[in-house]
Amino acid sequence: MSKNKVFNIVCWIFIIAFLVVSVFPFFWIFISSFKPEAEIFGANCYRIIAENPTLDNYKVVIFEKGMIRAVGNSFAMSAITTIYVVVVASMSAYIISRFKFKGKSILMGLILAVAMFPQMIVIGPIFNMFYKMNILNSYWVCLAYSTITLPSAVWIMVAHFNQVPLALEEAAKIDGCSTWMTLWKIIFPIAAPGVFTTAIMSFISAWNEYLLSCTLNIDEKVQTVPVRLSYLKDQFTVFWSQISAATVVVVIPTLLIVLLFQKRIVAGIANGAVKE
Amino acid sequence: MVKRMTFKQFLFILPLLVFIGVFSIYPIVVSLSYTFFDYKTNDQQHNGFYLSEQLNEKLFYEDCDYINYFIDADKTVEGLSDEDLATFEDVEADTTAIMAKYENATGVTKVSSDVMEEITAYIDSVEQRTSDIYERNSDLEFYNAENLPQIIKDMRSTIVESNFIGAAGFTQLLHDTRFSKALGNTLLFTVISVTLELVLGMLLALVMDKAIRGIGMVRTIALIPWAIPTAVSAMIWSYMYDGSYGVISKIFESIGLISKQSAMLLTAQGALASIVISDVWKTTPYMALLLLAGLQVVDRGLYESASIDGAGPVRTFFSITLPLIKPSILVALLFRTLDAFRVYDLIAILTGGGPGNGTESLSVYAYKLMFNQSNYGYGSVVVMGMTVCVAIIAIIYVKVLGADVVSNN
Repeated sequence: MSKNKVFNIVCWIFIIAFLVVSVFPFFWIFISSFKPEAEIFGANCYRIIAENPTLDNYKVVIFEKGMIRAVGNSFAMSAITTIYVVVVASMSAYIISRFKFKGKSILMGLILAVAMFPQMIVIGPIFNMFYKMNILNSYWVCLAYSTITLPSAVWIMVAHFNQVPLALEEAAKIDGCSTWMTLWKIIFPIAAPGVFTTAIMSFISAWNEYLLSCTLNIDEKVQTVPVRLSYLKDQFTVFWSQISAATVVVVIPTLLIVLLFQKRIVAGIANGAVKE
Repeated sequence: MVKRMTFKQFLFILPLLVFIGVFSIYPIVVSLSYTFFDYKTNDQQHNGFYLSEQLNEKLFYEDCDYINYFIDADKTVEGLSDEDLATFEDVEADTTAIMAKYENATGVTKVSSDVMEEITAYIDSVEQRTSDIYERNSDLEFYNAENLPQIIKDMRSTIVESNFIGAAGFTQLLHDTRFSKALGNTLLFTVISVTLELVLGMLLALVMDKAIRGIGMVRTIALIPWAIPTAVSAMIWSYMYDGSYGVISKIFESIGLISKQSAMLLTAQGALASIVISDVWKTTPYMALLLLAGLQVVDRGLYESASIDGAGPVRTFFSITLPLIKPSILVALLFRTLDAFRVYDLIAILTGGGPGNGTESLSVYAYKLMFNQSNYGYGSVVVMGMTVCVAIIAIIYVKVLGADVVSNN
């Protein structure tokens, strides 16, 4: 019995250590965001509560450094990506899950291969393509996000569509429902949890994307959150207090997404683990 | 009710094919074609793909124009002999004749070898004749004695040599020490961080699987580091690693892990450790959730019977849990290994590959080649080398996993 107790205590210590380590960076950024720049460098740089707490950092990053605009860009681009990825992925996942055709396993293998390829391989040609078409620094970058979001979306969707019973579709077919209608009116609503998981995972991938957007969208007007933030550091002096404030501003939306959708996110991660 | 697909159903997968075709397959093929050329966008003679010699006709035409303009001026110089004057006029006549052929030229065109010979012969003869005149009359004050040779040199560069190099890029790769260093860095980073993530993630998953109370909160907190953009977490960590006022570097210094605070980002080992720590911090929770999903499908009854048989927690883990969740572990490892192998944003922001090239990963090296040096040709060769490594890793895992990962039915 006491052995069990020791085991439990070890477990709890481990959990608590994990939580402390996970939260500490956010905590540090949070308290630093209220420090005036002088207190970041000076002798007091490890103080927890700032001597002269200030909101100036927030004012600067929001009104002068375009952080809010970056959050808006990120949000819009992720939303656009999510919408088209969900539509395209459900259409193809439906066919892959319900119909027999030549080259189906080749298609699935291809999708898997695309998910595994280093993203670096497409960036040069995509940059040149966007350059020639004169669509650098625009929202067109969302289409390029397909290379990171579509493959996993199709995989998750196929797994979910496979679980939808066939009987309903047959009934729908007898009632004269076309393939198109069957997909959107029958399968889509039944597989809604899976669809939602796909959507949230695509949204997060697009939200976190850095390589494509830092290469294709360097104009401040269309920069996304990760790119905008990395530009704050690239200047000659690094204002850590402003960067801290900016980080807090961009972590808040992520936090909201996680709190609101954590069940679906966990399901999405689990989908990666227990395939089929 | 598995049916055959008709054309109408094919339309349903068409959008997917278009997207994958345009944004994945096409760029991969183009990237492959870059590797066979010495393709540099910042160098006029290499900014394109020239399988054979070509002529920049427009520039050639303009250069001819300059020659006549310069000669016109130099003809008027006092003291020029009649013979030299006649030679100057000959050159002008030749130039006018050849210019007539390229009057409507627009840019770079492929030309036949005959034309190429004609042009080279023309340039040679102009160079010969004019330099003779300038040498013979070195006492005279020509306006363009220096300009004319310059324009002839320019003219030679309007002939664009083929920049097709075949497999030479790949040969270069094999002897490129910076590539092997980057490969070493990437492998080191991948092995260390994925191992740490697996061990810590497994422990965390086991604990989360046991503890029912409070698991929701733990899970929520675990998701946050994973959900924030890597670029953002890299910024947070680079502040905490700072050599003079970073909190983590200060803590590490005071417990004696590093000799001085600045060692964190300014030595190669310190910088690699920094990158690994940031990656482990961000990805361990994700690994834990992946493994937890595998653990939760394990039949609870098995644990009970093991405990009745007197097996301790360690024995239960190795004899029951581990074999049952092996497939989940392998899938998780495969995706994590590939992700870690492609690492770009974390290193680019945290260390930029430095100090020196001490933490440069393959992605960072390839990106620098392509976008800082505009050397798309060799950059693509590096990416291809990386792709081969990725393929090898994937094949090893799939062989271990069995073919069922790929086939969907």
